[in-house]
Amino acid sequence: MSARSRRVERRPAVAVAVTVVFFAWLYLPIAAVVLFSFNSVKSLSTFRGFSTRWYADFVHDADLVTSLVASIGIAAVSAVGALVLGTMLALGLSRIRSRTGRAVGAVTLLPLVTPEIVTGVAALLLFTGVGLKLSLVTVTLAEITFSIAYVTVIVRGRLAAMSTEVEEAARDLGCTPWQALRLVTLPTLVPALLGAGLLVFALVFDDFVLAFFTTGVSPQPLPVRIYSSIRFGVSPAINAVGTVMLVLSALVMVLALIVPRLWGRKSSSLDLITGA
Amino acid sequence: MSLLHHTSDDAGLATAAPAVSLRGLTKSFGRDTVVDHLDLDIGKGEFFSLLGPSGCGKTTTLRMIAGFSDPSEGSIMVGGKNVTATPPHRRDVNTVFQSYALFEHLDVRGNVGFGLRRKGIDRRAIGQRVGEALELVQLADRAGSRPAELSGGQRQRVALARALVNRPQVLLLDEPLAALDLKLRRAMQVELKAIQREVDITFLFVTHDQDEALSMSDRIAIMNNGVIEQCGRPEDVYESPTSVFAAGFIGTSNLMPGTYADGSVAVCDGLRIPVPAGHGLGGGEQVSVAVRPEKIWLSELTPDMVRVPGTVVSSSYHGATTQYLVAIAPEVTLTVLEQNLPRMSPEDRWTPGSRVELGWLPEHAVLLR
Repeated sequence: MSARSRRVERRPAVAVAVTVVFFAWLYLPIAAVVLFSFNSVKSLSTFRGFSTRWYADFVHDADLVTSLVASIGIAAVSAVGALVLGTMLALGLSRIRSRTGRAVGAVTLLPLVTPEIVTGVAALLLFTGVGLKLSLVTVTLAEITFSIAYVTVIVRGRLAAMSTEVEEAARDLGCTPWQALRLVTLPTLVPALLGAGLLVFALVFDDFVLAFFTTGVSPQPLPVRIYSSIRFGVSPAINAVGTVMLVLSALVMVLALIVPRLWGRKSSSLDLITGA
Repeated sequence: MSLLHHTSDDAGLATAAPAVSLRGLTKSFGRDTVVDHLDLDIGKGEFFSLLGPSGCGKTTTLRMIAGFSDPSEGSIMVGGKNVTATPPHRRDVNTVFQSYALFEHLDVRGNVGFGLRRKGIDRRAIGQRVGEALELVQLADRAGSRPAELSGGQRQRVALARALVNRPQVLLLDEPLAALDLKLRRAMQVELKAIQREVDITFLFVTHDQDEALSMSDRIAIMNNGVIEQCGRPEDVYESPTSVFAAGFIGTSNLMPGTYADGSVAVCDGLRIPVPAGHGLGGGEQVSVAVRPEKIWLSELTPDMVRVPGTVVSSSYHGATTQYLVAIAPEVTLTVLEQNLPRMSPEDRWTPGSRVELGWLPEHAVLLR
């Protein structure tokens, strides 16, 4: 009844206008990047017709391709690394009932609110301090450190929803503590683990700040590579690179939302973050 | 079979080792003693209930038998074997959890077969035994379903089958019916008892619901503050409670506190209630007399009854019965439960203010210290 009457109600023009402006502000620049990546001429202001020459430029630019591969590699390794460490941390924290344990749990979430630039500077100081040569390895180490908290938050959420009796049931039915973890707890967590892994992949893949502070000279992660190349004039090839990154990130995000549902869950692990 | 159970109290099973044997079992958390030097023997094939309010230590006792909680003191024997220090996965007991604790990533068949796979039994035998177990709980048609697709009652049956299929020495049930609605709970009580008879496995059933305990158990132990207040057959525990707590916890009881002297209890001035002999009291002790509401008559009293005059305070109609509150002294009000028999018309019911005479047979009054 109320839903129907609301539908009949006139929408205030101001609200519609604000919404339109908001979405235009949000997505028009991105749409422009995508559009001009298909421009047939080297202009960033006039569109002269459809072409894929900038994609060809991108594919033939060995530096850019190396950077893209590097970024995918960093994201994949970081996702796996953060997943292993973050899950271990979540399992440990869920078993600690003391006040100290809860305090430790709160501290592990600090990376979520620490300004990334602070983390970046700190990581740079650490790596140079211990004499570690800046490279893709240092980028990956920094990204893993930064991403553990995301995994821990998601996995702890799923663990909290899981009754402690489930693990006891496994032990009751003949599992050692280790078997209970392997045969029951971890399989139950699979949707959360997949969601968390894909989320970390997407976050790390296009991360600029941490990568900028911790990368070596060559090869550089893609976002850093793009940043340094536009300082010497913007080539439309950058638009093509941006579009590729956009599609990749979106694809991973969609997977992160869909895969847990395929497991027969009503809620995806990402709901924790999107608040849906 | 049931005859054997009823004599297990005495010497009936003295030769065989009890299914469960607890000696001085104690659990303390800091200064808090939750289970206090419990001694208990549960016979083979017995349906035994631990009944008590929340926090009485019944669940802690169950968890110690399962192995999830280490006793502070005392020993646990299962089937004649000391398992006090044995980890849960090597104890010959299985548990039906209150939350069911089903494995959501496995289907019903996978859940029920889980324990057998851990034991390394060959796949054909597992398939057959899982099939039988599902048949037993009438879930054969849901073998391929995920737990998330089942109703509460069905999940409960899966949890039961998953534990029973292992044929443990003892099945531990931690308030397994608590999450079901009343009607389903009643049906499951009957079914659970039938299943227990069929599989002939010792059931140790933990509950706070006196109805469940009375209707299913061969024996009941009433627990309070970590100790067993009374242990016996349901009818004995109900008819002859030995403590004020036991009388109050199982069913409703009219408690009349007073001073004992010369074969009767003085409840207040001018009201002396005769009690049966054989209690060995001298005189002057503070005691309570307990009479069950359904043992008190308001009409058709017989000469051998104890008679007390009173005034009806209120009456409430419950369909099959009518419940009256009757004041027999300024401070003493008794609850009386009267059957609404076919020959009685609604006009036969007492109205508030009516003067009545209450009566009960002397043997129905229980003297509690």
